[in-house]
Amino acid sequence: MNAAVYARRRRANALMLAATAACAAVSAGVLLGILGYIAWKGAASLSWSFLTELPKPVGETGGGIANSIVGSVKVVGLAGLMGVPVGVASGVYLAEYGRAGRFAFCVRYAADVMNGVPSIVIGLFAYALVVMPMRRFSALAGSTALALIMIPIVLRNTEEFVRLVPGTLREAALALGVPRWKVAAFVVLPTAGRGIATGALLALSRAAGETAPLIFTAFGNRYWDQGMLGPIATLPHTLYNYAISPYADWHRQAWAAALILMAFMLAVNVAARVWLRPPSTGAL
Amino acid sequence: MKQLPLFAAVLLAATAVRAETLTGAGSTFAYPIYSKWSDEYHKVKPDLQINYQSIGSGGGIRQFTEKTVDFGATDGPMTDEQIQKAGGKVLHLPTVMGADIPVFNVAGVDELRFDGAALAAIFLGKITNWNDPALAKLNPGVKLPDLAITVVHRSDGSGTTYCWVDYLSKVSPAWEKTVGRGTSVNWPVGLGGKGNEGVSGLVQQTPGAVGYVELIYALQNKMSFGSVRNKSGKFLKASIAGVTAAAAGAARHMPKDYRVSITDAPGPNSYPISTFTWLLVYPRNTAGKGAELKGFLRWMLKDGQAMAPALGYAPLPATVKAMVAKTIETIQ
Repeated sequence: MNAAVYARRRRANALMLAATAACAAVSAGVLLGILGYIAWKGAASLSWSFLTELPKPVGETGGGIANSIVGSVKVVGLAGLMGVPVGVASGVYLAEYGRAGRFAFCVRYAADVMNGVPSIVIGLFAYALVVMPMRRFSALAGSTALALIMIPIVLRNTEEFVRLVPGTLREAALALGVPRWKVAAFVVLPTAGRGIATGALLALSRAAGETAPLIFTAFGNRYWDQGMLGPIATLPHTLYNYAISPYADWHRQAWAAALILMAFMLAVNVAARVWLRPPSTGAL
Repeated sequence: MKQLPLFAAVLLAATAVRAETLTGAGSTFAYPIYSKWSDEYHKVKPDLQINYQSIGSGGGIRQFTEKTVDFGATDGPMTDEQIQKAGGKVLHLPTVMGADIPVFNVAGVDELRFDGAALAAIFLGKITNWNDPALAKLNPGVKLPDLAITVVHRSDGSGTTYCWVDYLSKVSPAWEKTVGRGTSVNWPVGLGGKGNEGVSGLVQQTPGAVGYVELIYALQNKMSFGSVRNKSGKFLKASIAGVTAAAAGAARHMPKDYRVSITDAPGPNSYPISTFTWLLVYPRNTAGKGAELKGFLRWMLKDGQAMAPALGYAPLPATVKAMVAKTIETIQ
C-alpha cells in the first residue's frame, strides 16, 4: 500500500520540480532573449563614429549619438547627487529615529505611493516645478525628475539595510558613551554601507533607462548641451525618437543606442554585485 | 562616496563650454528642412546652435506661449484667441511651403487617385474598404483589393492635421459640420501616430492603412502616395510646382500677418492640400536672442531657401520673400 503512495508522491514531486525549473528557465530565457536580440541587432551598427559624432539632419544617413551618451551621464549623475543623499538620509531617519512613529508611517507610505506614480507624471511635475518658473527646458529639470524617481527607491532600500544592522552594535557604541548621531553616522551607516550603495546604484540604473520624465524636461538637443541650464539629449529619449521615426537608418541607430543603454545598465548591475560584495560573507 | 566631489567637479567643468543657443519646437511637417538649416547655419556660424525639437505644431504653439522656447513652429496659424494668450503680439514668419499627401499601404497598388469627397468619406469612416465603388470609380483600371481601410491620423496637435482638415472642411460640408478645423480634432475613426514620423511609420507597418504626411516623409521613405483632384478637376500628385501654383494667389494678396490658407486653391496646376509653414517669433526678445534670431532668419531667406527644393519644399514666392525680409528687421 505504502509503495503506491510513495510512487505517486515521487511522480508529483518530479512533475512539480520540472514545472518550477521550466518556469525559472523561461524567466532567465526572457532576459537572455532580450539581451541577445538587442546585441544581435545593435552590434552591427556600432562603430567609432556612432559613439563620437553628433546626429545628422533628419533623413540623412550616418552620424552618431555622442551627445546623448554624455547627456545621459550628466543628467543621471546630477540626479544621483540630488536624489541619493536625500534618500539615504531619510532612510536612516526612518530606521534609526522615526521607527514606528506616526510621521515615519506617513513618510514610508508616501514613498511607497511615489514609487508607484507613473514616471510621466513625475515628468509633468518637474515641468511645472522647474521648467515653467525658469522659462526654459533644462538638464536640471530632467535631473530633478529622475531624482524624484530615485528618492523613494533609495529611501526604502536604505531603511531595510539600516534595520539589518544588529542592535547589539548600537548598544555597544552607546555603552561607550558615543552620542546617538555619531552612532548613526559612524557605526550604523558604514556597516550598512554596501547595501545602501548597491541600492543607490540600482536606482541610478533604473533612472538611466527612463524616457517619459525627460520628454518635457531635458527636451532633447541635436548638439552638445550648453550646461545644465539648457536642453540636453539623453540616450533613452533619443532612442525613443529614433524608434518611432520612419527612417531605416534611425531604426538601425536606435538598436545600437539600445545596446549601449543595456550595456550601461548591465555594467552598473554587475558592478553593484561584484564590487560591493562583502569580502567574507555573502550577506547584505 | 569619496569620489563624489570629484564627480561633481567634472560635471560642472564639462558644462563650461559655451555657445549661444536658440531653442525651438513645433511642426514635424517642416522638421526635415529646419534640421537641415540648423546644421548648415551651424557651419556658417559655429558659435550658434539652433536646437529644434519636432514635438508637433500644437506643442510648438503651447511651448511658445509658455515662453519655454525661443521660437515656435507651426503649419496651422495660431488663432486670435491663442495669440491673445501669448500676449497679443506674435509674428508668423512663413519659411517654406509644403504639401499634405495621402499615403497608403495597399499591396500591389502604387498609384491611386482621390478627390476631396472620397478623402472626407474615408476619414469620416463612411468608406471602409479599398474596393469601395467610390474609389473604383476614381481609379478605373486599378485592381483594388478587398481589404479593410485603416485610417491613420495624428495623435498630437499638428499643423499637418490643420492643413488636412482645413482642406476637407472646404470640400466636404459633412466634414465641416461634424469634425471641422483645428490642430487636433475629434477623429471619427482611425489610429493615432505621433508626428509625421509616427504616421509614416504606422502606415508603413499597417497593410490597408491610409494617412496624411508632408511630401518629404513619403519621398525619403519611398512610400506610395495618391494624386488628388484639384478645384479645376485635374488629378495632381504633390510637387513643388503644384504647391507654388497653389500659393500664387496668396502671394499676390498676402495679408500683413501672413496667416493665410492656400488649400483648395484655384488654378489648373494648383495642388489642393498645400500650406505655408510658419516660424512663431515674438517681436521683442531677451537680450542677445533677438539679434541671433534675426541673423538666422536673414540667412534663411538669402541662402536657406535654395535648400528647400532638395527636401521637397517649395521656396517662398519673391513677393512674400520681400515682405518677410522687412518683417524680420522689426524683430528686437
